[in-house]
Amino acid sequence: MSVIQRLSRLLYVLSLVLAASGSGLHGRNNSVSHEYCVLGAGPAGLQMGYFLSRSQRDYIILERNTGPGSFFHIYPRHRKLISINKIYTGRRNKEFNLRHDWNSLLSDRPDLLFQRISQELYPSADDFPRYLSMFVKELGLKVKYGADIGRIKTSDLNGNQGYILTDQNGVSYQCSVLLVSTGLWVPQQVDFLGSDLVEGYESIPTDPEEFKDQAVLILGKGNSAFETAQSILGRASRIHLYSPSPVRLAWQTHYVGDLRAVNNELLDTYQLKSLDGLVEGRLEDIAIVRREKDGGKRRTAKKRSQTPTEGKEQLYLTLTELLDDQNGNNISKVTGQNLPGYHTDNFSLRQPYDRVIRCLGFRFNFSIFDGSARPPQSSGARGRLPGITACYEGRGTPNMFVLGTAAHSRDYRMSAGGFVHGFRYTVRAVHKILEQRYHNIAWPATELSISQLQSWILRRVNEASGPYQMFGVLGDIILLRGSYCEYLEEFPLQALPQLSALSGRLLSDHGLLVLVMQYGLNQTDTLGPGRAESEWTKAWRSNFLHPVLYYYNTLPTEKDMRQRPVSWPLPRPEAVHHMVEDFLTEWDQPISHSQPLRHFLEHCLQTDLRAFYAESCFLLSLTSRTPPLFCRQGYLRKQGIVGNSHLWQHAREAGLMADHQGDTSVSEYLKHAGAAVVSAMNFDL
Amino acid sequence: MCIVYLIAFLFSLTSEQCSSKLIEDSSQSFMERMHTGKTSFIYFGNHVNPTIKLFMEQLEMSADALQDYGISVVKVNCSEDAIANYCTGEKLMTKAYLFRGSEVLRSFDIDTVFDVNAIVSHVLFSVLFNEVRYVHTPAELLRVESAAKQNSDIVVGHIPVLGLPEHRALMEAAFVYGTKYQFVQTTGTLVLKHMGVVDPSSSQAWLWFLHCKGVSRRSDPCPSIPMRKPLNTINIHTFLQLMEAPLVTEAVLDPSDVDVVHMHLGVPVLYLFSQLQTQQLDWATAQTLALQLRGEVGVVVIHRDGPNVKTSLKYNAAYRLPQEDVKYFTLNSAEGVVKLFKEELLQEHKFEDEEEDEEHWSDLDILDDEVSESVYRDRDLMLDLESVIELTSDTFQITVTQNDITVVLFYFKWDAVCMAFIQSYIEVADALEGMNGVKLAAVNCGEWTDICSDHNVTSFPTVLIYRPMAAAQLYKGMLGTKSLHRFILLSLVSNPYLLSSSAEVMSFLEGDLYSKHMYLTPVRVLGLFSSTHDMGVTSFEEAARLLRGETILGLFAHKEAEQWVEGLSVNLPALLVSRSPGVPYEVYSLPSSSPTDLVSLIKQVELDRFPELTVENLPWYLELGKPLLLLFIGKEDSTESMKALAEIKQLLSSGQLDSFLPCWIHLGRTPVGRSILEKYLGFVPPLPVLVMSRLKTGEEVFLFPPERPLMAKNILQWIHDVENGQEQPAGLIPDGKWGPPVPFFDFLAIMDQEAPTYAAQRAPKMKTGGREDHREQKHGTPNQRQTPHPSPNPQAPRQHSEL
Repeated sequence: MSVIQRLSRLLYVLSLVLAASGSGLHGRNNSVSHEYCVLGAGPAGLQMGYFLSRSQRDYIILERNTGPGSFFHIYPRHRKLISINKIYTGRRNKEFNLRHDWNSLLSDRPDLLFQRISQELYPSADDFPRYLSMFVKELGLKVKYGADIGRIKTSDLNGNQGYILTDQNGVSYQCSVLLVSTGLWVPQQVDFLGSDLVEGYESIPTDPEEFKDQAVLILGKGNSAFETAQSILGRASRIHLYSPSPVRLAWQTHYVGDLRAVNNELLDTYQLKSLDGLVEGRLEDIAIVRREKDGGKRRTAKKRSQTPTEGKEQLYLTLTELLDDQNGNNISKVTGQNLPGYHTDNFSLRQPYDRVIRCLGFRFNFSIFDGSARPPQSSGARGRLPGITACYEGRGTPNMFVLGTAAHSRDYRMSAGGFVHGFRYTVRAVHKILEQRYHNIAWPATELSISQLQSWILRRVNEASGPYQMFGVLGDIILLRGSYCEYLEEFPLQALPQLSALSGRLLSDHGLLVLVMQYGLNQTDTLGPGRAESEWTKAWRSNFLHPVLYYYNTLPTEKDMRQRPVSWPLPRPEAVHHMVEDFLTEWDQPISHSQPLRHFLEHCLQTDLRAFYAESCFLLSLTSRTPPLFCRQGYLRKQGIVGNSHLWQHAREAGLMADHQGDTSVSEYLKHAGAAVVSAMNFDL
Repeated sequence: MCIVYLIAFLFSLTSEQCSSKLIEDSSQSFMERMHTGKTSFIYFGNHVNPTIKLFMEQLEMSADALQDYGISVVKVNCSEDAIANYCTGEKLMTKAYLFRGSEVLRSFDIDTVFDVNAIVSHVLFSVLFNEVRYVHTPAELLRVESAAKQNSDIVVGHIPVLGLPEHRALMEAAFVYGTKYQFVQTTGTLVLKHMGVVDPSSSQAWLWFLHCKGVSRRSDPCPSIPMRKPLNTINIHTFLQLMEAPLVTEAVLDPSDVDVVHMHLGVPVLYLFSQLQTQQLDWATAQTLALQLRGEVGVVVIHRDGPNVKTSLKYNAAYRLPQEDVKYFTLNSAEGVVKLFKEELLQEHKFEDEEEDEEHWSDLDILDDEVSESVYRDRDLMLDLESVIELTSDTFQITVTQNDITVVLFYFKWDAVCMAFIQSYIEVADALEGMNGVKLAAVNCGEWTDICSDHNVTSFPTVLIYRPMAAAQLYKGMLGTKSLHRFILLSLVSNPYLLSSSAEVMSFLEGDLYSKHMYLTPVRVLGLFSSTHDMGVTSFEEAARLLRGETILGLFAHKEAEQWVEGLSVNLPALLVSRSPGVPYEVYSLPSSSPTDLVSLIKQVELDRFPELTVENLPWYLELGKPLLLLFIGKEDSTESMKALAEIKQLLSSGQLDSFLPCWIHLGRTPVGRSILEKYLGFVPPLPVLVMSRLKTGEEVFLFPPERPLMAKNILQWIHDVENGQEQPAGLIPDGKWGPPVPFFDFLAIMDQEAPTYAAQRAPKMKTGGREDHREQKHGTPNQRQTPHPSPNPQAPRQHSEL
């Protein structure tokens, strides 16, 4: 971004602030103006609200319901959250503990954690809105409830694109920056014949008794499908799950959006052949039909009295191509020939169902956006999500950012950006981008001397929760500056080419390091032998989450980024270092973790990073013109590490520290021979 | 043993110095050389810089080595004889050439031929270009093999890095044995794998002997024997002789009398006793064993029926290790013997390995950092943190406000420097235990990350000093027991000490006040002001607070202050420094300046003018940036040493050494001084020794001539001579860059080799949005698998044509 652009943005924000203060007068004519409008008081909206409030920005959170997190009043339908709430980790490190607390939002209040509300590992869904209410209250966030925004259009605000939001009462909100955190509310549907005969996850009864002895077909194989199946497992006679792709297990794919083991009891009953089952097939190909009782030909002429108890009609799954035979869509007369069982006698889904339930997930509500304010549909995730840039701005909708679950298109099926424990960090990152773009406040950075870099990296690797949860998406950036470096936390990796503009930090010609947590190739059986690597020299074959460092001479370009190796988060670097996966996720061992990391850093920085005792530095300072970095940044600044004779003894025995008696055997000899020999020896030498 | 080596080394050193084989060519002799058709390695240069100087030394050594191969090593001084083509251009200085007659066989960057080993190996490799086959792949090696079968044996050397001693050893062997064996050189790891090396990624050199000559059918593979010893000339020579030795030797003597080549080569020998009845069988056993132990053990079959064989019948075998007696044993199975030997040998091997590792500390799993390694060696020790309070988020605030002084260490458990320091920290805590008002505490930042972030600790270890109602003070001293202990004790002294009368001033300066701190620091610094209203007083007080723990400061703001500077060239306000009781005070005027400037002024005047350098104080003196006039004194304080010290002091007080930092090192108290002398001079001369070292400005070290007495006037004369360039430097201080200490372990290279497409950038033609693409593809796969029929078993879809 050019300076002028930045300046004009700044001016623009300034003028907006002025405009906002003036608009108070016009409040009566139903128009309010804010610098930031956050749409939706769910976890993402509140998380952003917290950051905006902390940086004292003019913001408002607009919420159509009367309280925060209303999604969780309805969903998940069976009221058990599957985000873990692990309270006891054996550690007191607050940052580390967030790795295992998937429900809390980020704040500077150490006690504002979800565990205050619930102690359950899988808490009740009702607890979440309670937690959010507490979050709003204790942090004093500005939320306007009951404002149901039905229309969003763009508007020109002093030459920049802003947005005007109109609620159900006709009140309009003028926003220079719009933060959309509306979540996903619209149930995803697929059009097929008979889709009207299908019940939706959003409205099915949750009392299992209602499914007593019923055969149930569930469309979908995600967590909601399995959650539903699990709830009726003890009552339904037969549960079949049908969807295009085979079930993907979260513990195999490391993607929490895939089927979690909490919900997977049906896999058991399927594999143990207890009447339940999974079937793959396209949803567009099927039709759900009622089989007319009289439609079928009966061989017997004897009229049976119809049993009134069988009031409910049964539903059949068939294929559209079987219905097409009739040259039209006349499905009122379905006969046996229209059913696949007629043609393939052992067709899997040949038996009728009492209920067909749709559990296909949700989509983003595009309808409230007017033409130019509407972000495009994402290319992935079946177009259910808005398409956004690497810094979470809507594609083609400048100054509108998408947060929370709706922003999941960036890392759909890759990382945790669609879930509270992931997007709380993306929101923080987006906030830092906003601060730089609109207020010229650079991305926070810690300045470290190079001799401290290794221990700082180890610190992050061992406790940081952001890169750990948002693996492969958020990474720490280390800008090398010669004798020191700047450490930037949790930058969105896909935006790396625009690092300078987005962070306000300039690059030097010393290059940069990027620290990312990654899962590995994942080519082995998740529970099979050889699933874990313990040899650090083979660290790049690690399968589990492990830290990876990338070293670049220069910032990768957009082109580098596009052409990055398949399944890599970043382009091929000058050098890469994998820290071998660790069973305990503790990367702190000297031989397997620290030293290989140091060697890597030494290569990138082209300098010796070994530590030396003061005595060695003394020797090196007097016998070389530039002693090693550690001596320069420690000892020569009067902060040498002295050690004690016990440690020196170890170092000398290891042959790493100079022994000042010359050859050891000679010194041994001298010890016995007495001092008189010393001078003679000296002389001889 | 070591002494023998030492002497041998010294001997070789002197012999090399005495007779240099390096020829210097004029343009005339160069032209003549071009016509002789002989091979010569020539370097053209026009001036000498440190790099070139080092190269010249190596070149000189290589002249010696290459003479044996009939190759002359020549240097041409271009500034005297400008030879066309070679004495001009950019490549001058950085290139050396290998000539055969007037033809250039090859040119080398002097970076490539950086030392004698590199020169010899590269030159020989070029000369032997046609004799030594260079192979990359197993296929190429097999081709060489099949050509050599029934013809000659092959020696295969794997050299991971060219130009190292291993490479030289191989080339020298090739030169000597080149006509006898086919030599093959490889650098590729593919060949390593082919040869059955388990870990081809290690940067070890290898050598194999392929017995191709003796293969009976051309379809048979050549049996290969690896050399299991480090690649050097002697080992290769031994190994080749072993390969030549007969597989099994027959004898009719007692084992101790059998003379086989193995004994001379320092290789164990196995003796098997054979009887007439079982001769065939015994012979076969011996053959099998010999094949398995080839290259490591010699096998001798002894016929028992010989009159000279006296061995008891209860043994059927014996072995003899080099330099040892014959040991008899009973052979039960062939495997048993192999095992015995492999284990015997292995043990010896292990021992060698250990020795080797200490030399090549770049071995991957050995810590190469002295601090890490020494801390690691203590890993089974439980740290006794009893005397140190471990703070938590809950206890931190209370604790740091409870005591007069709370010292807090912020550390990481995984950081070796922290863990090395924590030992000192505990020592200090133990020493101070029971002292009122002082508490030592520690925060484990790996656990209490919030405390450490809240206190902005970004460097580890950090020590902060907390006092109630005051901002934390950062401890900036050496991270060692002595320094920290002294700092804490001095911190207890109120700073500045307010003096109210001249009598008090006297007692302050003479050390009567705070006498118990005398052993911590004898230096007293006094601020003199005419009245408490002086503007500088607050500044001085602030400076004193900043210097808490480092310097004992007194403040005398009184009308009597005037009399302390009477007769001196200084007016009030002034700074009076007492170095120790009884020594004349030094006085400095005290300009009005900020507290931090005052701090640096005070620190500066505190410095000794003729300090004894110690590990703990050197940084303060190096900061001055002056050339050092460094006197080394032996352990026993001889009169000679005392005299030398006095002579320099005399020069100092006369102000003739102002451009230098005169200082001394006591080798008894600072034994590392000995290593410094060795580095400077290459040896330790009789003490005392005076050395001039220009650390900042030059690289030369000058030695005061030992034969001259260390007298003031001699010293002055010597300094004068040095400055006029009339003295030869006795040593050099290298300006070596501290690059990475070990070769880089390149994951990318390994990926490229083991999974070639894994780390490769995608081809540019692919569509944008890599991730989405990838996903789309994934998505496509299950769709393709679908049949019109939903099938519970996608692996075996049933086809039904009627649908």
